[in-house]
Amino acid sequence: MNTMKWLIKREFWEHKGGFFWAPMIVGALISALIALPAFYFAAKGDDVQVRINGEIRSGGEAVKQFSQRMTPEQMTLVTDAAASSYMGFAGPLAGLLGFVLFFFCLNALFDERKDRSVLFWKSLPVSDTETVLSKVAMALAAAPLVTLACAIASALFSVLAVTLAASMVGVGSLSALLTTPALYYSPLLVAAMLPVFAVWALPAVGWLLMVGAWAKSKPFVWAVGVPVLVGGLIAWLNKMFALGWDTSWFWKNIVGRILLSIVPGSWFGLNTLDGSYQVGIRQTQVSMLLDKSWQQFVNPNIWIGAIAGCAMIYVAIRLRRWRDEG
Amino acid sequence: MSDTMNNAVNTPPVVSARGLTKRYGKTTAVDNIAFEIPPGRIIGLIGPNGSGKTTTLKAMLGLVPFEGEMKVLGKDPRTEREALMREVCFIADVAVLPRWLRVSEAIDFVAGVHPKFDRTKAERYIANTKLKPSMKVKEMSKGMIVQLHLALVMAIDAKLLVLDEPTLGLDILYRKQFYQNLLEDYFDEQKTIIVTTHQVEEIEHILSDLMFIRDGKITLSATMDEIGERFIEVMVAPDKVEAAKALKPIDERQVFGKSVFLFDGVPRGQVAALGETRSPGIADLFVATMKGTYA
Repeated sequence: MNTMKWLIKREFWEHKGGFFWAPMIVGALISALIALPAFYFAAKGDDVQVRINGEIRSGGEAVKQFSQRMTPEQMTLVTDAAASSYMGFAGPLAGLLGFVLFFFCLNALFDERKDRSVLFWKSLPVSDTETVLSKVAMALAAAPLVTLACAIASALFSVLAVTLAASMVGVGSLSALLTTPALYYSPLLVAAMLPVFAVWALPAVGWLLMVGAWAKSKPFVWAVGVPVLVGGLIAWLNKMFALGWDTSWFWKNIVGRILLSIVPGSWFGLNTLDGSYQVGIRQTQVSMLLDKSWQQFVNPNIWIGAIAGCAMIYVAIRLRRWRDEG
Repeated sequence: MSDTMNNAVNTPPVVSARGLTKRYGKTTAVDNIAFEIPPGRIIGLIGPNGSGKTTTLKAMLGLVPFEGEMKVLGKDPRTEREALMREVCFIADVAVLPRWLRVSEAIDFVAGVHPKFDRTKAERYIANTKLKPSMKVKEMSKGMIVQLHLALVMAIDAKLLVLDEPTLGLDILYRKQFYQNLLEDYFDEQKTIIVTTHQVEEIEHILSDLMFIRDGKITLSATMDEIGERFIEVMVAPDKVEAAKALKPIDERQVFGKSVFLFDGVPRGQVAALGETRSPGIADLFVATMKGTYA
């Protein structure tokens, strides 16, 4: 277990930029993009001209009037939405994480062979199984946790900033926000999606690690080119011989699962049980997304993918054990 | 002294190989070799490029599959690699430390995963160099990288240390320093070192045993003492050349118009009559026995 701790630390040392600085900076940027205009409007809102129903008013007044027309129920809804805005922050950061993880998994077992540092790692009493599993743990648990922390921090900061700015022009109140339960439980709801991600992303992590452990050069070309070429070949055969195959099945369940499943939340788009399963704007309530995420576990797709992922991770371990680096 | 000798006889060998063979496709890199390495020795494994020395070391370290039998510290490197790596250390090549690694991280990591790592020893060694804890490998010269690697390796209380061309590409100051540190601060009767290098002359004086390998076969395996007894070089005047040739020298070369003959196992008294004798260096022996390798 101690070895695992050091192996994970080692990954953070090597990939500080992708796993730590990138989500920090993007989170901070989003926060700044939200907080700065809010405060600007709060301070200079009266200078802004807004046209409402043909009347020209100052911005600050318009907001005030608008908020005064809202019923208390509507007001609560707005506060609620603000308090559960974590998903909004998790979204871009999840995309970023998917991008970072894709290249992390692809290069994790390739770069060490390219620069021959694998010979140094192998001179230590750490098994290939431990090493490869540490990279899996990094991709499926440690890195998502850091990103989640960044998302929560930047969501909290932004919501507080906007509420503070609004209360400066006399709209809403900070105390209303702070007493909204959603502010406290929505981070947990977002965090509760991590197990779904860990199982969902297994085939992609396995595929990318395996290709990285196997390829002599250009792992990206192999990892992306092979599934895409096979997909193209199938489509061509289908057309040439009028086989009547459902080629979209291959793209969705093979190509998509081994390449795109690495993006957290990709299950919403890739794995639709029925037509109604599309994410709409009205369904962005965190708890609904969570429900849909955990519903994945009743779908055999996620389990078949997970088993395939574990098999490919096993192959990656064997490859690292016996690959001769010349 | 006799205690050490007895130990060497009674304790099981550090490495033993029988029928060790390694093929890459149709080429045979290591061809059915057998050897035993007792503890407390410094063995030089010497051979031309492509002779199979690195492959032999890789097999020993469990880095490649092979045919035949081999035990390292009583363990099969193919199936018991992790346990073996607690007792065995190796420097496979210069500059295999990852470029992003800092000195402090390297020490933290090895201290974290290696039960036999002595942190203070590594730090003491590094304090004597120009390395700084915050320094990254990519900022270091080749010589400094080797200093860091050696600091890590010497702080590990391993039973077997394998060095494959550890000083390749270093200048002579670093090379001398490297072997001096190894000998003074690391080596003792409980440890065994196997080293390959092309700079044979530089390690000649620290070796206790010599193993020549050529085309995947061991062509010579002896202690340095035995080699001193077996091989004699004689500078022969022109009138005695025929007599010298009758004793079947293994090599002949010309120096300042005189012939120098190398004899293997010919009694010293017989040879001394031919001219001035001396013990050949490893480099001379190597050149003599490897003639025609690249022809």
